[in-house]
Amino acid sequence: MMDHILTNIIFLPLFFAVILGVLRANIFYLKAGAMASAVVTLLLVIVVAVNFDPNNGMQFSQDIAWIQNAGVRYFIGVDALSLVILALISLLMPPLYIYMYHENRKGYWYNMMVLQTGITGAVLSLDLVLFYLFWETMLLPIFIMIGKYGNGMHQYNSMKIVLMTILGSMTMLFSIMYIGYVYFDTAGSWSFALNNLMALQFDPKTSIWLAAGFLLAFAIKIPLVGFHTWMAPAYSSAPTPAVIIMSAIMAKLGIYGLWRFGFGLFDSTLSYYAPTIITLALVGLLYYAVRAVTEDNLRKMFAYSSGSHLSLIALGLFLTNIYAWTGSLYFIATHAIATTGIFLMIGLTYKRFKTVKISSLGGIAQKAPKFTFFFAFFALSIAGLPGTGGFVAELLIIIGAFKYNFWIGVLTATTMLSAMLYIFWMLQRALFGTSNNSCEYEDLSLREIIMLVPLVLMLLITGIAPSLFIPWFEPQLETMLQGVLLAVGGLL
Amino acid sequence: MMNQLLLASPMAVVIIGAFVLMLISHSKRFNNDRFNIVAVAFLVLSLILQYVTYESQSSSFLFEKIFADSFIMDDFSAIFDVMFTVGAILTLLINTDYFKSRDYFTGEYFALILFSVFGMMMLSHAHELVTAFIALEIASLSMYTLVGYHKNNKVSSEAMMKYLILGAITGAFFMLGTALIYGAVGSTSLTQIAEYTITHKLHEMTLLIVGATFIMITIMFKIGAVPFHSWVVDVYHGAPYPITMFMASTFKIAVFAIALRLYLVNFAPVNSFWTEILQVMTILTLIGGSWLAINQSLVKRMLAGSSIVHSGYLLIGISSLGLGSEVAAPAVMFYLIAYFISAVGAFGILSFLSSQQQTQMKYEDFKGFATRRPYMALTMSIFMLSLAGFPSTIGFLGKFYIFTSAIESGQILLAGLGILTAFISVYYYFKLIAMMYFYPSKTPQKKLPIDISTILIFMMGLLIIWGGIGTTLIPVIPGPDGFIDMAKQAISSLR
Repeated sequence: MMDHILTNIIFLPLFFAVILGVLRANIFYLKAGAMASAVVTLLLVIVVAVNFDPNNGMQFSQDIAWIQNAGVRYFIGVDALSLVILALISLLMPPLYIYMYHENRKGYWYNMMVLQTGITGAVLSLDLVLFYLFWETMLLPIFIMIGKYGNGMHQYNSMKIVLMTILGSMTMLFSIMYIGYVYFDTAGSWSFALNNLMALQFDPKTSIWLAAGFLLAFAIKIPLVGFHTWMAPAYSSAPTPAVIIMSAIMAKLGIYGLWRFGFGLFDSTLSYYAPTIITLALVGLLYYAVRAVTEDNLRKMFAYSSGSHLSLIALGLFLTNIYAWTGSLYFIATHAIATTGIFLMIGLTYKRFKTVKISSLGGIAQKAPKFTFFFAFFALSIAGLPGTGGFVAELLIIIGAFKYNFWIGVLTATTMLSAMLYIFWMLQRALFGTSNNSCEYEDLSLREIIMLVPLVLMLLITGIAPSLFIPWFEPQLETMLQGVLLAVGGLL
Repeated sequence: MMNQLLLASPMAVVIIGAFVLMLISHSKRFNNDRFNIVAVAFLVLSLILQYVTYESQSSSFLFEKIFADSFIMDDFSAIFDVMFTVGAILTLLINTDYFKSRDYFTGEYFALILFSVFGMMMLSHAHELVTAFIALEIASLSMYTLVGYHKNNKVSSEAMMKYLILGAITGAFFMLGTALIYGAVGSTSLTQIAEYTITHKLHEMTLLIVGATFIMITIMFKIGAVPFHSWVVDVYHGAPYPITMFMASTFKIAVFAIALRLYLVNFAPVNSFWTEILQVMTILTLIGGSWLAINQSLVKRMLAGSSIVHSGYLLIGISSLGLGSEVAAPAVMFYLIAYFISAVGAFGILSFLSSQQQTQMKYEDFKGFATRRPYMALTMSIFMLSLAGFPSTIGFLGKFYIFTSAIESGQILLAGLGILTAFISVYYYFKLIAMMYFYPSKTPQKKLPIDISTILIFMMGLLIIWGGIGTTLIPVIPGPDGFIDMAKQAISSLR
């Protein structure tokens, strides 16, 4: 049971999707099946989390020969880094399915299940080719969901996100193949397993462009400023569950990839890129915040807000001290939950008002107090309200930034201020004041509250008692950090 | 003697089938359906005989006393024979409706398909240059006729003339090359040529190199490599759909059967001479093919353009061969198998669909296809993904092997260009998927029968997925390892 538990977690949703598809299940069974797959997966992840030993590196690993002629192995495992994202995806799926309760288009549900498999697989795989497979596969459901169920110029935007992301993946594939070849050259056999490849020494020049292949893929996925042109259009035309997956999980996978493969394979080379990435992240931090302030469309606004915060996480990663690293990983989790909450609220707003433009909302607080409460809570937790997890995480990153360099610390600290600015201004215009449209609407229903309460609780617990969670991943981050610092000899 | 007859029987059955079809083609009792069944029956019989007579890892000459070493039977030719026969069977079965819906198809059509299969099989067995030329011409002549089969259609006739004239001229180069090689070696037998190339130094073989370059021109023309590509898009466009399918998937591969044999064994010592030529040609083919494919509005023309790009990938593998990459030869072989399966499927669906309408299929005609026929759309998406080299399909592994072989032989820029064109190809393949899924259907959904065509197409789709991610759990159906093992075995039997 324990040997195959990760495999089960990865493939259970896909298995359900295939079975339901073959049986041509009607919409009721499809919904029930999807929900069941999400719940069972969540239970399995809880089992993994309970048996997880923070002081032990890679656990529950499974290593089977797969394509022997190419040396590709089915090699999966979980450590603190991947456990965080694994826990996130499995925690967020059930609320999403509750949100999709009235969704009667079958393709939607199948895509969500395939998507879960793709993302989970990418997080857990430790073989580069396997990782690449899942990394690409998770794009397909997003492509279909934006293109088929989106709004606005969705066909165009879906093509755009796919082409941009695949451009990154292709450069990554090239680097993967070259690394495999280097291994073949030194060891005499093909292998793409991370633990084998980490021992490789590349000559500095090669290493720089090999790293570039990976960095491009991750920079587009995050997206760092300059690689972000797909983000706002895709977020604004994607259906709510797809937006949530994209901003809460897939963008984080870019960070995860940077952490796992960037630091794993190219630790000494990254010092070459560190100034560039730190600059891009700082520019992104401010640029996205400014865009968010001026944005009238709620979806786009929080797309930019999410970009700003992801830049902060990426920044934390390259500051290479334990505060920043802990903060980054913690922020991955709390930001994902908060984003899920706010995008769910935006989805509910759209259902009620058929618009997400701030200028056509307003006056909601008088008629729908519960709605207002949840909306404001999630929005404020995005801004880093003390008492929510985001605050702790941002504080850690800012402390790390001050330790790294005073001025970078100052610039990083502005993120909290700018977030406050656009969030409060948005809340004032969107929720309070007088109504700018004549829609009849209802307050939150019980089902919607059930969907939102766990997210609120999670945000509060992570904010009030971070000491419950941080010991889970701090030891491993400490070890990884030591390794990186040893390789680069001091700061990046 | 009996044994030799048995070995020859797969080829013999096909040619006998062709003659039988010729004889009965004017009988009033037979219609297209029956001709189709007869043709398929002969091909299946040939397939069974191939299975029965197949001996693993044995290499022998057919009727050595009569033909000397003109015909060789080895794993390499066996795997090609299977692809040709299966390709023809699929062409015939998937297009059953197409033959019914067009009245210009007559009995000779099926005979010509069998003739061309015979020519291709002969080509894969050929171990002597004149035999190879005759085989190539048998296959090509049938193809010329088939391309222009829709006599009253201007586009079809134009395609035929274009293909015939250009093909005949480049075919002459093969003969010229053979003559020059004969002048140098004193024989046209591949055994003698191999001995000659091994025992002589590079600068002593000028005549042979010139001759082999001429042969290469013919081969490049047939696979549509760029300076010789001008016919591809028009001919694929003009030919009836089933013929396009047969040409793009099966006939294209046949040319590689002789090309690989020649350049892997007999001309191996002089391969380094062509490195630069091949590299330039590869770059041109990749870029030119992408250029052709990217701005087409007819799906058929897009696939025609993209088939040039696929020739480009194969050329990457072949130029890696010349630089001494060990993995290149199986990589090329694997890519051929992968391309064969994907192209048969993609063109198969296209011609299956076009049997129901008289005009050419545009991108727009696929709007809402996923609502009308969800399973067919899913399968088409799989073919597109495989052609684009998306992971979890066999097409990805094909590209993976080709690019790693290029990296291994030090052609990093070529691999980079391959990646770039693969990226470009994502655009035109995904455009079709977008058309199928993103737009509502104009015509209402109707219940369509499940027939042999749809089942075959669906099975090709499954094979592509299994070939990409399959494990050894089901040993009967070859997964990624099974296919590459086949490819390796075929290549190793050449030496």
